[in-house]
Amino acid sequence: MTVAVDSPPLERLKAILAELADLRHAESIADWDSRVSMPPEGAQARADVLATLTRITHERFVSDEVGELLDALEVLDDETDAALVRVTRREWERARRVPSDLAAELSHAAGVAVAAWDKAKAASDFASFSPHLERQLELKQRYIACFPETDTPYDVLLDEYEEGTTTAEVQQIFARLKEELVPLIARATESTELTGPFAVEQQQRANRLVLEAFGYDPTKWRIDETPHPFAAKPGLDDIRLTTHTDAGELTSLFSTMHEFGHGVYEFDVDARLARTPLASGTSSAIHESQSRLWENLVGRSRGFWRWFYPQLQPLFPDALGSIDEDAFVRSISAIRPGLIRGDADEATYGLHIILRFELEQELLAGSVAIRDLPEIWNARMKEYLGVDVPDDAHGVLQDMHWSIGLFGYFPTYQLGNVISVQIWERARAELGDLEEQFARGEFSQLREWLREQIYKHGSIYPPRELLQRVTGSALDPEPYLEYLRTKFA
Amino acid sequence: MTASPFDRLRLRLAEVNDLGKAATLLFWDQRVMMPPGGGAARAEALATVSRLTQERFIDGEIGRLLDELRSIEESSDYDSFEASLIRVTRRAYEKAMRVPPELVGELRRAAALGLAAWGRAKEQSDFAQLRPHLEALLELRQRYIACFDPPDEPYDVLLDDYEPHMKTAEVREIFDQLKEELRRLIDEIGEAGGVDDSFLTGEFEPAKQRELSHEILRAFGYSDDEWRLDETAHPFMTSPGAGDIRLTTNYRPDDLASLFATMHEFGHGVYEWGLDRAFARTPLATGVSLGVHESQSRTWENLVGRSRSFWRWFYPRVQAVFEPQLGSVDEEAFYRAVNKVQPSLIRIDADEVTYNLHIILRFELEQDLIEGRLAVKDLPEAWNAGMERYFRLDVPDDARGVLQDMHWAAGSFGYFPTYALGNVMSVQIWERALEDLGDLDERFEQGEFGDLRDWLHKHLYSLGAKFTPQETIERVAGSRIDAKPYVRYLREKLAPQVA
Repeated sequence: MTVAVDSPPLERLKAILAELADLRHAESIADWDSRVSMPPEGAQARADVLATLTRITHERFVSDEVGELLDALEVLDDETDAALVRVTRREWERARRVPSDLAAELSHAAGVAVAAWDKAKAASDFASFSPHLERQLELKQRYIACFPETDTPYDVLLDEYEEGTTTAEVQQIFARLKEELVPLIARATESTELTGPFAVEQQQRANRLVLEAFGYDPTKWRIDETPHPFAAKPGLDDIRLTTHTDAGELTSLFSTMHEFGHGVYEFDVDARLARTPLASGTSSAIHESQSRLWENLVGRSRGFWRWFYPQLQPLFPDALGSIDEDAFVRSISAIRPGLIRGDADEATYGLHIILRFELEQELLAGSVAIRDLPEIWNARMKEYLGVDVPDDAHGVLQDMHWSIGLFGYFPTYQLGNVISVQIWERARAELGDLEEQFARGEFSQLREWLREQIYKHGSIYPPRELLQRVTGSALDPEPYLEYLRTKFA
Repeated sequence: MTASPFDRLRLRLAEVNDLGKAATLLFWDQRVMMPPGGGAARAEALATVSRLTQERFIDGEIGRLLDELRSIEESSDYDSFEASLIRVTRRAYEKAMRVPPELVGELRRAAALGLAAWGRAKEQSDFAQLRPHLEALLELRQRYIACFDPPDEPYDVLLDDYEPHMKTAEVREIFDQLKEELRRLIDEIGEAGGVDDSFLTGEFEPAKQRELSHEILRAFGYSDDEWRLDETAHPFMTSPGAGDIRLTTNYRPDDLASLFATMHEFGHGVYEWGLDRAFARTPLATGVSLGVHESQSRTWENLVGRSRSFWRWFYPRVQAVFEPQLGSVDEEAFYRAVNKVQPSLIRIDADEVTYNLHIILRFELEQDLIEGRLAVKDLPEAWNAGMERYFRLDVPDDARGVLQDMHWAAGSFGYFPTYALGNVMSVQIWERALEDLGDLDERFEQGEFGDLRDWLHKHLYSLGAKFTPQETIERVAGSRIDAKPYVRYLREKLAPQVA
């Protein structure tokens, strides 16, 4: 377990990294539990636990010892070891900039603020949340100040989730998307609205059926209900998805497929990378490309529904009995400008993200004040999507991200959409007609291809390099736009 | 740093506490939530977090602060928060200092792996699967014992972790007394003929049992804001932080044992719940010993939950929910059935009397294992012989014998005696509560348990670990640990069965 000081540097580095992975495992459980199983009064103590874990993890990681070991490991032949050193150095250099106390404060504030957000959202009471948001922003400013060489503060945040991508690039891609999406949405056509009720238990049965066909193994995975779905991997062979099932709508299945995409990426990382920084997906956008791929490119495809609609329909005889497969598929693929990002269709989704991306930059620059945030949010929702926001719970309070300090994270969702189609096109070029397989309930060929191309590598390749290796091209919004134009023609 | 040494000590202890709570949560999650595939990674994580907790605790800083604080400890009132925290920390520190963090981590990992193996071994009634784990754990425990000055008996070292300051010889003396009294009582009851409890076996839908468990808990003082109740094969309680109390129970479809398991775990939970919140994130924020902890689980399970007045309140509910099974069973018959004394194979299902003999058997076997008089490979045989000696029962398979409990698989040797010590202390505390509160029966009959809970909260729970277990029991009950009140209680309660 503990490695002697005279062991080779690589072995010593790996021992330290394994220990840090174990601490993150504990953090991951503490976080998952606080969202799935913790009684509400446990929040304060949990915030303390998370802050301590973060601080200790941070302290141990930024030690001089890690730096010295990295220096001793400049040249390595083995590709995986070289990647390990590269990724560790990148993280170490970032982490060294941030005092352990600030890291702990960020974690502590997140624990407290997420509980406040929960309550604020339930009561649609932005005022009770705004001091927490203010605190988060202040901490983020202090965090950014640890990187004084940056011209664009937002780059510091973005780089944490999406190595090698700059704010300027995102702005450029988003400008291109906005240009096409706004007119596309204007062409929205009528389609059947699915009206429930959809009994929660039946929806959960449907979720299980789909997950099992995708390759969910109950001895290594679990799925729970949370208001805001997410996926977590505390450690090897322990994948946890959550979904949100509401009898009023049939959205739980899509969030389940979405989280499956995150889960399967983590699950299929090569086991030999366990307890190293390479043991998870390489970036937020690549991760999101996989959740969107399974949710949208698979889960809203014709082939998928040819297989699954005959199973879904009998689960809801009242709600779906008179809706045929074709009408159903059109309905779940319709453009319907709405209030909630998590429920948005493929076309409007991007505008929800662009709105958040803009506001985050403005908040950081101080050009939007927190107290004005709800009003500005509502005005832009009207402008971009033509919808009126009835209350903050359906507006500025809908997402938890800002409460846990995730600024700079939202754009990776939309980059994920863009990347998902780039990867999808490549998969189709190599594997032929996937929809025919989907129509038979077969998804293993796609999953295997993705495992081989993407999942098993974990973080060995930086995101842009991985994209290049898999698709042969750089980040490019055109395939995604083409996909949308075709789909919504 | 301008903070006072005492504040610095608190800061350090808070960090150690947080790491401990992280491990607590990992453990809870492993048993309640984790998909089985995650077991290996969880063992590593638990080992690392435990080792780091130990490292942080003994890294020298706390020792220096304790030295600096010696004069404050001596000049402060013994009962004060400051003196108590320093005193309790010092004792824990002096013990922990002796144990290398690597050994702590190894024990934790071996325990996690042992538990995983135990689950499979019990399911398949295959002791061979557990055996290497037990051997490894015993070897680690020997190394642990060797960290300390030679004790009177090696078992003392293990016992002290669960029941601080208690010696094996004291336990033996109490147990010898119990053994003699209880075997006589069991014989007398055996001769008197059986109580009919056949209606306690039947079809009891788990969903309805869950409903009843929640009803009892709510009457006892459970709320969704601070508690949760889950289902595990082996019920337990843990608290991963202030305001966060977690119970588990086990709803078996063919009996009502879950109700007692739920009340038992509530007793553990309410003790943790009632800790003085000012102690949060210090070593005082815990029950003082496992024996005293168990006194509370047994209070709520047995002294409350198997009392006549409790069932006067709750039996009508149980009867209504399980009308087909219990419609023709009157309250008196039900009360007698849930108090039936009868030798049986499984400790956790045992009645109040025979329970203690299950413990004494384990206590004796543990000493034999630790002293090297018994090899792990011979353990099933020794177990079965013990069951024959104490109960004249044949153990049909290891699942219902030596594999029934998880404790040894988790490396917890020295833990079992605290269960019977808890029984003994529960009645000492109970008698004192009745002196102050008067007869509680009328209140229980109304489903009112608040007075008892508040009394226990004020006199026991709020003390946390400020004092030693002996001091605590003397303060609460006014006497040292003593088996006589317990034996007297059993004799009185079971007189109808003897007669």
